[in-house]
Amino acid sequence: MHQTISATRRVALTTVLAAVALGAGGCGTDTTDTSASGGSGTPSSAALVLDDGWVKSVDAPRMGAPSPAGGMSMPMSAMFGTLRNPTRSDITVTGGSSPVAGTVQLHETVKTASGAMQMQEKKGGFVVPAGGTFVLQPGGNHVMLMELTAALTNGSTVPVTLTTSAGPVTFTVPVRAFSGGNETYNPSPSSS
Amino acid sequence: MTREHQHTDGTATAASGPRRRTVLLTGLAGAGAGVVTGAGAAVARERATPAPDLRLERARASARPFRGEHQAGILEAPPPYAAFVALDLHAGADRDAVRRLLTVWTDDIERLTAGRGPLTDLEPELAAVPASLTVTVGVGPRVVGLAGAERPSWLAPLPAFPQIDKLLAEWSGGDLLLQICAESPTTVSHAQRRLTAGVADLAAVRWVQRGFREPFEGPGVPMRNLLGQVDGTVQPDVTGLDADLLWVGDDGPAWLRGGSSVVVRRIGMRLDAWDRVDRLSRENAIGRRLDTGAPVTGGRVDTPADLEATDELGFHVVDDAAHLRRAHAAAPHERFLRRPYSYDDGTGPETHVGLVFVAYQADPVRQFVPVQRRLAEMDLLNLWTVPVGSAVFAVLPGARSGEVLGQAMFA
Ligand code: HEM
Ligand SMILES: [Cu+2]
Repeated sequence: MHQTISATRRVALTTVLAAVALGAGGCGTDTTDTSASGGSGTPSSAALVLDDGWVKSVDAPRMGAPSPAGGMSMPMSAMFGTLRNPTRSDITVTGGSSPVAGTVQLHETVKTASGAMQMQEKKGGFVVPAGGTFVLQPGGNHVMLMELTAALTNGSTVPVTLTTSAGPVTFTVPVRAFSGGNETYNPSPSSS
Repeated sequence: MTREHQHTDGTATAASGPRRRTVLLTGLAGAGAGVVTGAGAAVARERATPAPDLRLERARASARPFRGEHQAGILEAPPPYAAFVALDLHAGADRDAVRRLLTVWTDDIERLTAGRGPLTDLEPELAAVPASLTVTVGVGPRVVGLAGAERPSWLAPLPAFPQIDKLLAEWSGGDLLLQICAESPTTVSHAQRRLTAGVADLAAVRWVQRGFREPFEGPGVPMRNLLGQVDGTVQPDVTGLDADLLWVGDDGPAWLRGGSSVVVRRIGMRLDAWDRVDRLSRENAIGRRLDTGAPVTGGRVDTPADLEATDELGFHVVDDAAHLRRAHAAAPHERFLRRPYSYDDGTGPETHVGLVFVAYQADPVRQFVPVQRRLAEMDLLNLWTVPVGSAVFAVLPGARSGEVLGQAMFA
C-alpha cells in the first residue's frame, strides 16, 4: 500500500564533497530516498542511503556524570537504521565523524565467554553490498558515537558523516529516546 | 483511505470514506428555533466474517490517513477500542521541549497509523495491523504558554458543577492528551506504550482512561452505553452545515484554525442503584426507549423527539427532567460532537463502570458549558451518574505534508 511519509522518516543525506542540498520535505515512497553522489564526482551515481535512521538520546545530566568506578563516565550513543546501497558496486564503510562526538567507531556486538553481550570495533568496517542493505540495530552492528561533546536531546537531529569507499556521506539523523542498547564496550577486544 | 468489505461471494471490494454511525443530526425540536432535523448519513459498516486467508490482507489495508487539514480521530465513526492518555510535561520543560515532543509524536503517529513501528520500535510486528488506528493530540494551557502562542479564552478547566461533580485530581487536567482509537485493542495498547515511552524524558503520564464501544456496531447494532441505552444518536452535522460548530475558525487564534477543543469527562455509573430501577423508569430518565433508542414520543431511532407532546393527564411525555429534554440544544450553538466510550475498570467486587464522555466543539465554554450547566441543575440521569474526572484540551489542527503537529504555535 502506498503511503506518504514524513520528512523525518527519510534521513536527508548530503555529500561533503558535492555539498548537494537536498529537500527533506514533501511526499515520497519507501524507495525514493534522498541520496546524493559519492566521492566519485559523478552526481548521478547515488552513494549510500540511510533508511529509518536514528540516534539514541543522551540527557544532559548524564554528560560527564561520575561513573560507579569513581572516574567520569564516557558518554556514548549510537546510530541505527538501514544503510542502503543503490549503486552497482559494494560500498565499505570504514569510519565516521560527527560534530557532537570526539570519536565515531563502527561496532559489532558479540557474546563474551561469560555469555554477556558486548560491543567492540568491527574490523574491516561495514560492507554494504551493491543493491543491498546493511542493518544497524541495537544489539547488533551500529555506529558508535563516543566522547560526546553535547547532550543529544530526544526529538532533535544530529549530523553524522560516514567515511566510505565511495567517499564521505553525511546524514541528518533524528534523535530518539531509547532505553535499550546498553551493551558494555570493550575497547580492546580479545576476540580479534 | 480504503476499507475492505467482505461479500458473500468471497470477493472483497473497497469502500472509501470514513464510516459513519447512524446518527440523527441535531436540530432544535422543542426550542422553537425551527432548525431542520434530518437523518444523518447512515452509511454504517457492514460486518461479515471474512475467509481466514483474507483477514491479514484486510487488517493491513485498514490504515487511516494521518495528514490533512484536521487531525484524524474526530470525524470518523469511533472504532471500538480507545485509550485517552493525559500527560504532564516535566518540571522545567521549555519551548524547545514542547517542540521536540511534538516532533517525536508526529513522526511516531504517522508511522503507527500506517502500520509501521516508530523508529525505536523493536516490536514493529505489533504495529503491523493498523486497525483504523487514529491518534489525536490535544494540548493544555501550559503547553500553549510554553510555546508562546495565544491561549484561547476557553482553554481552562470547566467551571465547577457543584450539584453533581465529585472530581478527583487523578482523572482531571493534564498538559497533553493522546486520544488513541483503533479496531484492535492490541493496536491501541502498542501505540499507547510507544507514544508514552518515546517521550518519557519529556512528559509523564498523568491518567489513562481506557474505553470500548460495541465491536459489532453497525446497522441494527447501535452503540449502547453500560446503562443499556442507545447512545450517540443526536449529533450535529459536522461534515456539512454544522462544520463551524466543530472547527476553530477565523475568530480563534491563528495557530488553532482547523483545530478544535475536546472535553473529556469521566462519568461513573451507579449500577447497583440502576439495577433497582424498572425499565419504564429507565426509559423515562432519558426520554428514549431502551430497545430501539427511539424517543418515547414514538417513531424510530432517527425520529426527532416531540418535546411538546403531552399525555392524557397533561404531563409532558418526555419528562421535564429527562436527559434528552435537558441536554437538547436551547440555541443552535449549544451543540457539539459526542464521541463517548464505555469503561469497565473493576478489578474486584466493586463495580467501576461508566462513560468516558468525550465532546468535540470549537468553543467549549460557548457550546458545551450551557448544556452541562442545565444537566447539573436538573437531569434524572444524575441519580445514577457521577462525574469523577474532567479535562479540556485544545485539539491541534492537522499536520499537512511535511509539517509537525502544532508547529503553528511556534510561528
Ligand atoms: C454517563 C453520562 C451520560 C449518559 C449515560 C448519557 C446518555 C445519553 C443518551 C442515552 C442519550 C440519547 C441518545 C443520543 O442522542 O445520544 C443522550 C443524549 C444527549 N446527551 Fe447524554 N449522556 C450522558 C452525559 C452527557 C453529558 C455530560 C452531556 C453534556 C453536557 C450530554 C449531552 C447529551 C446531548 C446533547 C444529547 C442529545 C440531546 C438531544 O436529543 O438533542 N450527555 N445522552
Ligand atoms: Cu557500540
